[in-house]
Amino acid sequence: MHNPVLTEDVTVTEPVAKPSRMAFWLVLPGVVWMLLFLVLPILMMVYVSFWTQTTFTIKPVLTLQSWITFFSSDTYLGALWTTVRIWLLVLVATVVVGYPAALFVGLFVKNKTLQTVLLVLCVIPFWTSFLIRVLAWRPMLGKEGAINMILMKLGIVTHPIEVLLFSELSVIIGMTQIYCVFMVGPIAFMLGRIEPAIIEAAQDLGAGFWRIFRTIILPMSMPGVVVGAIFVSVMVLGEFATSAALSGRKVNLLGNIIVTQVGSLKWAFAAVAGVVLTLLMGLVVAALLRVVDLRKEL
Amino acid sequence: MTPVLELNNLVKTFGASRALDGLSLSLPDNSYISLLGPSGSGKTTLLRVIAGFERCEAGSIRFGGRSMQDVAPHRRGIGFVFQNFALFPHLSVRDNVAFGLTNRELAPVTNAGEIADRVQAMIALVGLTGLEDRAVTQISGGQKQRVALARTLVTEPKMVLLDEPLGALDANLRARMRNELREIRERCGVAFLHVTGSETEALAMGDVVLVLDRGRIAQTGNSDSIYNRPASSDVARFLNCYNLFSGRIDGESFVAPAGRLPLGGLRQTAATPAYAIRHDRIAIRPTGTGLGGDEAAIEAQFLAEEYTGSAVYSFFTTEDGTLLEVETHLSKDARPVLEPQGRYALVWNKEHALVYA
Repeated sequence: MHNPVLTEDVTVTEPVAKPSRMAFWLVLPGVVWMLLFLVLPILMMVYVSFWTQTTFTIKPVLTLQSWITFFSSDTYLGALWTTVRIWLLVLVATVVVGYPAALFVGLFVKNKTLQTVLLVLCVIPFWTSFLIRVLAWRPMLGKEGAINMILMKLGIVTHPIEVLLFSELSVIIGMTQIYCVFMVGPIAFMLGRIEPAIIEAAQDLGAGFWRIFRTIILPMSMPGVVVGAIFVSVMVLGEFATSAALSGRKVNLLGNIIVTQVGSLKWAFAAVAGVVLTLLMGLVVAALLRVVDLRKEL
Repeated sequence: MTPVLELNNLVKTFGASRALDGLSLSLPDNSYISLLGPSGSGKTTLLRVIAGFERCEAGSIRFGGRSMQDVAPHRRGIGFVFQNFALFPHLSVRDNVAFGLTNRELAPVTNAGEIADRVQAMIALVGLTGLEDRAVTQISGGQKQRVALARTLVTEPKMVLLDEPLGALDANLRARMRNELREIRERCGVAFLHVTGSETEALAMGDVVLVLDRGRIAQTGNSDSIYNRPASSDVARFLNCYNLFSGRIDGESFVAPAGRLPLGGLRQTAATPAYAIRHDRIAIRPTGTGLGGDEAAIEAQFLAEEYTGSAVYSFFTTEDGTLLEVETHLSKDARPVLEPQGRYALVWNKEHALVYA
């Protein structure tokens, strides 16, 4: 029996079929790459974390020993706690330093060209290598470094401030400087998208600057803060180079533990630390995404 | 009527261009004022200067008897309805309307019950009852327009500036909102200053119509006097219903490149001479027929026509290339049958002409 509805359905679905085949080919390289070089290694890491580790060898015999060692060792738990503490401090510092900068660039600089120039200026430090950027802090913060010399010349301090270098403080200073731009960028982007008329409308309705900031600007820039926080968190949680270079190996993050364990061929311990770190990052990102519904905002 | 707003000699420049060039005006309280200006005439700048978003370089602004020169925008008590509405996208309809009451610096309303009552009453006034909890991104253009209006009116400004408020709406909705805007204004009893580039909108809505030209007020009056007696050839051009000839006066006729036209009708002084005849005052006749004593005529070639149902617009070109438009109302005249490229006599009563010299 002839069914007009059915034939109509067929003609409607046909043009849709082509874009979906197209979509398949567009997505394929990315998916293959991710499976081979992200998903598979992660699964491998989880698997290796249950292998049996002896001093010089590792055997694919499943055991919980590495996990028990990790969670009963003060060194490893201490590193986990240090990682969380440094991450939180750097996150707060990048928001405190980055938000006002983004507010200035995104809202107070009206000229679009100047806005772009200022954002590019933020990125200029990235034209030098990571290592140089980190090591450059040493002559700045050291006992006989620039900051201490200036403070002593000005007579503000009589003895050099030693806590500036090779301490947790120097790690936080270094990381904040390196990662701040990842906070500024997304926030400035969101602020730049706020139509000037919206702020004028709030003004016209009688609100002063701080009221407008609290009720309009801050809530509308929150997606930027969350995206920036995700960038900074993922990078800081996985850090090992800055802490190694600026703390004189006094500050051990999970990243440093992994580097040391891999260096001494303790693959199972390294895998445990890696799984813990991956889970931590997953939790942090999931928690941040709960703050703002990015799909709705972007 | 007492003036609610008095502007004196306002000057505002952007680089070399003068957006406001010694503009003065006085607006009556409790009335609907429309301001007609072509694009680039400085109309948005004027509104922004009144609201305080831009500072003018010279001149004075008095609002409600008070100088507004050094008053910040959020303390002026002048409402502003933006062209693209500028609703707060992260707030619901209700919170958008309540924004001014809760967040204004001068005398904010802190009583939650009072806020809820006033917001509810205003939402009802603009006809949005039932949509209070919707996000403003999920309502139609006309509804956004109403939210923008309600958000401003709830703060009880003495005057509301509307910057092309109907520009973002489709044609049907625009016609409906015209009536509604007038009704809402009457219920609130405040002055509305409605800026528009559309002559029909300006004439249809304003109790008083102002025409803005190159940073100055070119004419003030009611719709009828603006439409029938434009004060200059520029005003006549903005009204979009006059054929204009430039030329010079020679004895009892006006000499235009298109031909000699007998003088008559209303004569007004102007720097550049011009002769204007309204589109619907012209009759189309075959060439060679005799003229009455008070008739003026010009010969022109038919180009094209546009049928709108109630009227036909026919377009002609004269020997020297002047484009002429004729509006024939089908309720009183038969639809003219015109030969493509045919030559016709365009005839009008010379008393209907406007002469600027």
